Amino acid sequence: MKKKMRVMATVFALSMALTTLSACGSKDDAKSSNADDPNAKDTITALLPPVSANFQSNFEQMAKDFNAKYPNLTLKIEPASWEDMTQKLDTQVNAGSPPDIAFIGSDGISKYVDSGMVMDISDTVTDEMIKDYDPAPLEYMKNGKGLYGFPAYMEAHAIGGNKEFMEKAGIDYKKVQKEGWTFDEFREAIKKGVVSENGKTSRYGFVFATAGVTSKDYLGILVKSAGMPAAFDKDLKYAYTSKNFLEVLKDIRVMIDDGSMPKELSSIDAGKRWNMFLTGQTMITGKGLAGFERSAKLNNEKLKNKDASAVKGSIPVDYVVLPVPAFAGAQAQASVAVDGYVTFRGTKEPTAAHKANVVKAANFLSSGAIAATTNNELFVAQITESSRKAAESMPVDRDADNKAAVERMLTTAVPARPDIPTDLGAKAIKLEDEVIVPKLQALIAGEITPETMYEAVKSAAVSAFGEDGIVKD
Amino acid sequence: MTDYAKPIKRRKFNSDAAWGYAFIAAALIIFAMFTAYPVVSALIISFQQYKPLGSEFIGFDNYTETFKDSLFWKAVVNTVVYTLLTVPVSLFLSFAVSILILPFKKRMQTVFKAVYYLPAVASGVALSVVWLWIYDPMPEGIFNKITAFFGMGTHNWLGSSTYAMFSLVLMAWLSSHGTSIIIYLAALLGIDGSYYEAAELDGANFFQKLWYIVVPCLKPTTLFLLVTGIIGSFQVFQNAYLMTGGGPDNATTMVGLLIFNNAFKYFEFGKAAAQSLILAAIIAGISVIQFKFLGKDVEY
Amino acid sequence: MALYNAHAGKPAARNIRNTALFTVLLLFALATIFPIYFMIISSFGEPVAAGAMDYKIFPSSFSLESYKFFFQFNTYTWRWLLNSLIVATSVMVTNVVFASMAGYAFSKIKFRGRAVTFSVMLVAMMIPYQVTQVPLYILIVNVFHIQNTYTALILPGLVTVYNIFLAKQFMSSIPNEILECAKIEGCNQFQIYFRIILPLSKTVLAVMAILTFMDNWNTFFWPLLVTNSMDMQTIQVGLKSFKFANTTLFAPMMAGATISALPMFILFFSLQKYFLEGVTVGAVKG
Repeated sequence: MKKKMRVMATVFALSMALTTLSACGSKDDAKSSNADDPNAKDTITALLPPVSANFQSNFEQMAKDFNAKYPNLTLKIEPASWEDMTQKLDTQVNAGSPPDIAFIGSDGISKYVDSGMVMDISDTVTDEMIKDYDPAPLEYMKNGKGLYGFPAYMEAHAIGGNKEFMEKAGIDYKKVQKEGWTFDEFREAIKKGVVSENGKTSRYGFVFATAGVTSKDYLGILVKSAGMPAAFDKDLKYAYTSKNFLEVLKDIRVMIDDGSMPKELSSIDAGKRWNMFLTGQTMITGKGLAGFERSAKLNNEKLKNKDASAVKGSIPVDYVVLPVPAFAGAQAQASVAVDGYVTFRGTKEPTAAHKANVVKAANFLSSGAIAATTNNELFVAQITESSRKAAESMPVDRDADNKAAVERMLTTAVPARPDIPTDLGAKAIKLEDEVIVPKLQALIAGEITPETMYEAVKSAAVSAFGEDGIVKD
Repeated sequence: MTDYAKPIKRRKFNSDAAWGYAFIAAALIIFAMFTAYPVVSALIISFQQYKPLGSEFIGFDNYTETFKDSLFWKAVVNTVVYTLLTVPVSLFLSFAVSILILPFKKRMQTVFKAVYYLPAVASGVALSVVWLWIYDPMPEGIFNKITAFFGMGTHNWLGSSTYAMFSLVLMAWLSSHGTSIIIYLAALLGIDGSYYEAAELDGANFFQKLWYIVVPCLKPTTLFLLVTGIIGSFQVFQNAYLMTGGGPDNATTMVGLLIFNNAFKYFEFGKAAAQSLILAAIIAGISVIQFKFLGKDVEY
Repeated sequence: MALYNAHAGKPAARNIRNTALFTVLLLFALATIFPIYFMIISSFGEPVAAGAMDYKIFPSSFSLESYKFFFQFNTYTWRWLLNSLIVATSVMVTNVVFASMAGYAFSKIKFRGRAVTFSVMLVAMMIPYQVTQVPLYILIVNVFHIQNTYTALILPGLVTVYNIFLAKQFMSSIPNEILECAKIEGCNQFQIYFRIILPLSKTVLAVMAILTFMDNWNTFFWPLLVTNSMDMQTIQVGLKSFKFANTTLFAPMMAGATISALPMFILFFSLQKYFLEGVTVGAVKG
């Protein structure tokens, strides 16, 4: 009996394997793109998340406008939510049938380059298109020698302060906005921001969202201003083994030990700290995005109108954009997020005509009126000439000092690193997820010392990159 | 895992086997296409460096790498701990609740059942937001207020490695039994009244009835809930993903999370497949033991 | 005759017992229901971002703004609900039919390869979905070319191993004597299944129906993968559109979660009858 079962199981497994093979054989792409006729009908698919609140509701209009501009082309937009976007795209890429265009963070490009499914458009873009983009964000869409799409915006990661509290604490924030500050200055400032009664703190100097995976942001933003703009230095040696890294870790701990940051920091998430900011429980918060100015204004408006939907216990707040301080005597550099429209290919080699059409569509989405509207809504800077022009007629209610501060930060933006090979990049990401982030969470929770964490990162780096692959100073 | 039930009649009805095949035919075809085929594909992929434009066979590399990976084993330990803490307790709670509900009037039963079933109905993402709020680390957080009231002080529930796992377990205890309660109740209602009658004539008390009638009669149900509960628990990653991100210090990193990361974050699809199969082998091993101890179906 | 003593003639004892049980159940129920309670009350808040959310146990204001927002946010909201209803209902029906048939065969009919087939099914169930999604996606999208259709949404869920296992476990406790009696009276296997097994399994089939419906109503990853236009999305996929880059509109999300939980409640209460009437074997015997 037992033996027979085994035979049956084998037969079963074999027949399964056969269906697998036969299914693999019939893989093909349904894309119709006949010959290289540039005027032939073609459909371009784009997978887009809700970039801004009104972005997805404009899809139909975008498709219509695109079709009006290029009558032979149809733009088919697939909506997806932010969180699931990557999973959907990854499944499609792994299955060999991704959309032509997807809106993703530029830091994701390298992993897709490795899979061979992104489309290098450097031979297809026209000079006219390239000229439209600011060079710094465009660099972020490159990997090696290839160009894999167009950037939509470049957002500086800043921190944000409460104007009234900073004035009370005697902080010359206007000077800071213009000249930046060092960690020591910052440390003194946030100490002065603390308000406590009977040993119970009612207001902290600084609160950064570090719960769960957001702790990655926290460290990522700080190390940029500690002389480590990327995980690898110019000679492609792993940078986070440098002494400065340990300095930053010590500073992270010191701000909590000073009482300037809450000891419960390790589970404060993005929503919680924004609530703390609006209710006056912290003087400075991070990470700060340009759009926060609008959220604060919205709440002030509600408070003025005695609207019940104003955040409970909140106070009127003037949101001030502040740069991240410089650590360990290094030059402050602004961490930026460049997101954009990345171009993909299927398992079949794309025809030149289709490729040109995809480029047209990606360019259409990332410049001109669409970019102008979206970036305005997000309070982020325009990064193309054409969208700047289109945005001139659009009114924005932005604080001039904040706008200037953001622009100043963008001039110190960390440059893109298309020279980092994909396999090194992948290893660094894995090391970050499996060692740095978990250890950082433990460090913030006060369970390990900065030195312990530094040693853990160092030994993991040595086993990943070798003794010669890391920075020693 | 051999014979589940005695044959109804020996040999005489040869057509029975044909009926058997006919009854499972539809299920088997669907299973073969939409479950078995992907699984076999995953098995093949696990020996490859998967690339959409042509994969490379790399033998057992994905497996040996996984076996050498200390984080994988840490995740396995975390997952086993989580499973041991959640599944039996949830099972016991659901069993107890479904027994406790019985003496009430039908209307009352309905209300209670609906209440216990509720958490299963709501979407996990919406609920995780609520739980994040309950576990607020500041002294004014709900859970902190409760523990402070009982003199246990306030804690950083999700942010410290001492409490993070416990917090996830507690969340599971309070929100993962709706389904089990309904299934247990259905099974309880299926027990024939005549058994109790007979027991009462013999003078059995409540606990004797519970032990000698209810527990054996519910054995197939318990086995079902145990096996599926453990499968679910071993694959769990959403709570860790949404609540703690696996931290701090990998204290709540589960195998499911690693597989998820390998498949979707690092694009190491072959490795994800290999880890899945190792995980499946572990679960299968545990299930075999369960079937050994509980597998004998109740016979009448 | 039941598990509990009737305490005939001693109403006081029964009352004390029931009050004690009631208290225990109530406490546990309160702990269980709290997150749901919070979900519902916060759905009556204003549609503001999560950071601006005021977390409180007792609502200070009541507004239907979030529900209005939820339905006006996107023209497809009703369509999403309808799509979910179509998919979940179809899958529920096919599961009850196919799983009960297979469950019966696996529990009561002896045939060669039964144990092996069943074990293979169980093992397949132990493999996490993350790795089976890609081959399945290739099958549906690259081989069958049926993406963005109801077929693609329904097909992979037609019958699940979970339900077969559930049916098998319940049916295994149906006494064999009844089946033998039926046979002697000349019933064939299909008649036994239809006239005896199905009526006796009403309770578990009702349970299976609601669990399957719930599962498919709540699932979002597969619909996310195979739909690529808003009109084919299901409610769970649509719900996610409330999360923007750096903000979540909390109250509308909770309103959506509440709305999407409603159909399951309706189903639950309409199937309630089957949960409560235990189908006793004795009743059929006579």
